[in-house]
Amino acid sequence: MKILIVEDEHDLIKVMKESLEKETYLVETATDFRSALDKIISFAYDCILLDIMLPGGSGLELLSEIKKLKKQEAVIIISAKDAVDDKVLGLELGADDYLAKPFHLAELNARVKSAIRRRNQNGEQHIGWRNITIDPENRTVQVDKYELVLNRKEFDLLYYFVTNPQRLITKTSIAEYVWGDHTDQADSLDFVYSQIKNLRKKLNNAGADADIQAVYGVGYKII
Amino acid sequence: MQKRSLKNYTLRYLVIAILGIIALWAALFYMYIIEEVYDNIDDGLKDSRLRIMREAEGNPEILRTREYDIARFKITPLPPGDYSRKSHIYNSKMYMPYDDDDEPVRVLQTIFSSGGQEYQLEIYTSTVEEDELLEDLLTALVVLYIALVVSIILINHFILRKAWMPFYRLMEQLRNYKIGGRTSLEPVAANVREFDELYGEISAMVARNEAVYTQQKQFIENASHELQTPLAIAINKLELLMGRDGLSEQNLVQIDEVNRTLQRLKRLNRSLLMLSRIENRQFRPSESIILNELVHQSLTDLEVLSKYKKTVITIDEKGDFIAEMNRDLATVLINNLLKNAIVHNAAGGILDIHISEREIVISNSGKTSLNPEQIFERFYKDEQSENSTGLGLAIVKSIIRLYPALSIDYRFEERHCFVLRKQ
Repeated sequence: MKILIVEDEHDLIKVMKESLEKETYLVETATDFRSALDKIISFAYDCILLDIMLPGGSGLELLSEIKKLKKQEAVIIISAKDAVDDKVLGLELGADDYLAKPFHLAELNARVKSAIRRRNQNGEQHIGWRNITIDPENRTVQVDKYELVLNRKEFDLLYYFVTNPQRLITKTSIAEYVWGDHTDQADSLDFVYSQIKNLRKKLNNAGADADIQAVYGVGYKII
Repeated sequence: MQKRSLKNYTLRYLVIAILGIIALWAALFYMYIIEEVYDNIDDGLKDSRLRIMREAEGNPEILRTREYDIARFKITPLPPGDYSRKSHIYNSKMYMPYDDDDEPVRVLQTIFSSGGQEYQLEIYTSTVEEDELLEDLLTALVVLYIALVVSIILINHFILRKAWMPFYRLMEQLRNYKIGGRTSLEPVAANVREFDELYGEISAMVARNEAVYTQQKQFIENASHELQTPLAIAINKLELLMGRDGLSEQNLVQIDEVNRTLQRLKRLNRSLLMLSRIENRQFRPSESIILNELVHQSLTDLEVLSKYKKTVITIDEKGDFIAEMNRDLATVLINNLLKNAIVHNAAGGILDIHISEREIVISNSGKTSLNPEQIFERFYKDEQSENSTGLGLAIVKSIIRLYPALSIDYRFEERHCFVLRKQ
């Protein structure tokens, strides 16, 4: 799987690249409008991460170029300017997703995986870890072919872990992914614990090989 | 000291000045009139003297008029001697039976000789009663003074009010002026150059203020934007670092502490960005929104939080509260109010929501009143909530400010009550 990161901040490219390469993606980068356009025309990617503000032009212009070229890449807009207009315009122009800076790397992983899966209609529509299989479209989970019933939040939680296998996910990142922006309280991190406890119990009872491990009270990791 | 209006200020000095001027004028006028009156009377007396002396030449009988009579003169023979022939005129008083009183008279006294005998001739004529003249004059002047003052007050009232109208209009506009509300003042039609200049200067000042304010808002927005990327880099680098193998627990916990601090910074920055975007009016389209639905939606979103805090929630819906506003902002408004009521609540506390067509009352348990003056200010915090950004209610307030039909109030009635009202 090939990913192109179009972003003018070298430091940010470096961390995104390192994080995505851990997921065994092949990552290429472009730091301005011109070189990005060259790469998009010359090569095929599975996913393009696109910053809106670029030297030499706007990421939204680049997006229209991609659409004009009838390219099949999944496009995720990454912008510091989470202005509603940009978001709406980006999605209208055919972007698959929109991620506002600053984001969690785990969230980037989850979004990239979703975007690629949705683009790739003919390929594998399920994602899995060990004997757990998730069907994101229908929001169902199977353990060894047996249906596991989860509530909405538990599903989101499991999906977040499965898209980031064996990676430490911090509590703040989990709280934000599953409950959105309502988590600006210190004690809000405590309810992450109770939710994960429930999920672990359900996975255990269903006979899943995977387990969610606590990492020193800092976060969790699915193994 | 109590300040008076310019109108009364000038009036006070005018009234005093006019009093002084009239008094001075009255004194001079009185002296002049008296002078003129005496001059006339004296001319008459001198004329009488000539006539009497001439008459006495042919009719010695007249020389025997010893007492004032109908003739209004008397002649007294004098012992022989050397007398001054000069006439002497003076004021005196004389009993008048008509008034049964002493009345002022003007007396001419002179010496003349007839047939070798010296005589003293005294002629009198009734003269003005000075005190009565003074009294009359005083009455006239008081009337004049009152007339002047009254007309000045009236002129002040009508003419000056008309002349000052542009000034008061300008004042009214300034009173209602809110920075960021409008960019220019309505022109004021003034016939007075000073007011035209005043309007010009104030308009220029308003324009300058607005420009600075816009710049300031833009600056906050840009600064928040610019902070996002470095924040993203720092957070993501820490996340990568935390994912490395071989970190000790102590290291990991320390890195996470830095991470959480950055998360707080991220939230703060997001709230600031939200606030400046609201104030820069970047949420355009409005629609009719039934806030009841948003309340239910928001409570679902906040369920985890309310369950965790064991908040007892009751909703009483008497009607639909419909507002004409931007959907995103309406969501943020309701969300922030409800979240505030859950977060700043005791564990197991109460959250009551009353919705009617006119108002939404959100009340939650609390022990003491918060400061209603400051609660909607940016970065206002009560002691316990060191982790909140202090911007949630400021965002609520700035959303309300966009919609003049809505208002938000805080009051404490055994509980914290936030009242969203439609005017």
